[in-house]
This record gives sequence, structure tokens and C-alpha cells, in this order.
Amino acid sequence: MVRTLGWLSSAALALGLVMAFGVAPREVSQGNVQRIMYVHPPLAWVAYLAFGVVAAGSIAYLVRRAPGADRLAHASAEVGVLFTGLAIATGSIWGKPTWGTWWTWDARLTSVAILFVMYLGYLLLRGTVEDRERAARYCAVLGIVAALDMPLVHFSVYWWRTLHQPPSLMKPGGFTGSAAILWPLLVNLAAFTVLYAYLVAKRVRLLRAEAEALA
Amino acid sequence: MPDNWGFVAAAYGLTALVLGLYWRRLVRREQELDRAGKDRARTPRAAAEATTAAERSRQPSRPGHPRSEPASRPPLP
Repeated sequence: MVRTLGWLSSAALALGLVMAFGVAPREVSQGNVQRIMYVHPPLAWVAYLAFGVVAAGSIAYLVRRAPGADRLAHASAEVGVLFTGLAIATGSIWGKPTWGTWWTWDARLTSVAILFVMYLGYLLLRGTVEDRERAARYCAVLGIVAALDMPLVHFSVYWWRTLHQPPSLMKPGGFTGSAAILWPLLVNLAAFTVLYAYLVAKRVRLLRAEAEALA
Repeated sequence: MPDNWGFVAAAYGLTALVLGLYWRRLVRREQELDRAGKDRARTPRAAAEATTAAERSRQPSRPGHPRSEPASRPPLP
């Protein structure tokens, strides 16, 4: 199944690239730099998804003490940190030509940076506590607490005046742009979601193999 | 507004590079574990010895060198 997910994600990402550069039109006000939109929001979406899975896995672990739930949370946190870091970096690269700055301490960017640091702390905590059972328990609590920052990240653009634009898709009323922009965005969202599933499945398998080798 | 293709290339390139490196790291670790598992299966005695060595390394070290009791030592020539 993992191998199938790998091939599927490769094909979907290739299609996403074709859509982003071959199908999507040049945007009128921003020019071609707007094509970063086909990679930046999908990365941010996967970050949300990943930390949602961390919270779900953490709750499942605290309730049932199933090692599988802990492994899922661990794998998802690692992949989530990777995607959040990339979302921050690509956003910064997009911000320079459009906002005129790489970084600004506005509510959206700051809340995302806090989310990133909290899950980085989650991974560090796993590495520092030697007893595996105790590490899993502590991380489950941190995974749930850190997930509380996600609504803050999402709604920060509504609650405060920010430089960051409001969401294009996940908003009341849905997407209001043209279909020529919407479809490449949707294809890339799907491609990055499949890639996330593939990476997490691979990482979970690896964590299981590591646990078996240690046993 | 100018097209700023350099920024587009940087965003896509960085994403591809980081995700590619992470994927390669997972593949390598998987291969390492696979190889170690095969080695263990091939030489169970060596694996047992390795485990014992690993267990020994976790035990607290004793100060100095172990010495024999004076009564058990042979007389000097």
C-alpha cells in the first residue's frame, strides 16, 4: 500500500506541476510570481491536516494506550513540522516581491511560527525522554495542547488586521476566483495530501520496525 | 508587476529539495534496518553477543581494574 501511495503521489505531483505552469493563467496583478500559490497553500493545508492527525492520535493514545496511535502521532508531527517549515519559507519567498518584506510579525505569521516551534518542541521532547512510554504520554499531552493554536492560526486573518490575505478556499462562500485558478489549486491540494499520506505511512512503518529491532 | 521567476523557482526548488531529502532519509533508514534484520537472522549467535555487549555497555562501569584476591596469587619467584 505504501508503494502504491508513493507512485500515486509522484503522478499527482507531476500533474500538479503541469497544472500550475501549463494550465493556470498568468495572474493580472501579481504576474507569474502568483504561481507560488499552487505550492504554498497546499503546504499550509497539509500542516493543518498533520497537526489535526497528531491531536487525534494523541487522544487515541491517552484513551487506549495503543502504540499504533502514538506512532501515527509521532510520524504526523514530523511530517507536519516539515510542511509547516516549508509553508513558512515559501510564504516568505512570496512575501518579498508582493509585500516588499520577507517577514513581518503580523498575527497570521506569528501564530504559524508559534505552531512550528511548539511541534518542534514536541519532536525534541520525544528525543529527550528516554522511557518510551513516558515520552509517548508527555508528547500526547503536548500534541493536544499545541493543536489549540490551529484555530488561532486560521482565524487570525479575521480577528486581527494582518498583511496576510484571508483564506481563498476554506472560507464561508467558498472560492470566488476563476476556474482556471481553482482547478490547479485543487489538484495540488490533492497531490500534497497524497504525498503526506505516503510520507506518514512510510514513517509509521519505519517507527514500527525500529521498535521491533529494539525489542 | 515583473514576473519574478527567480522567486517562483526558489519556492518550488526549496520544496522539492527538502521533501526529496526527507524521503531519501526515510528510504536509507529503512534499508539500514532491513540490512540489520537480515544480518540478525543470518547469524543469531552474533546478534545475541551484540545484544549482550549492548546490555553490558548500559551497566555502570566499575572503578579501576578488577584485581585478584592476595591469597589466590602465586608466590613471586
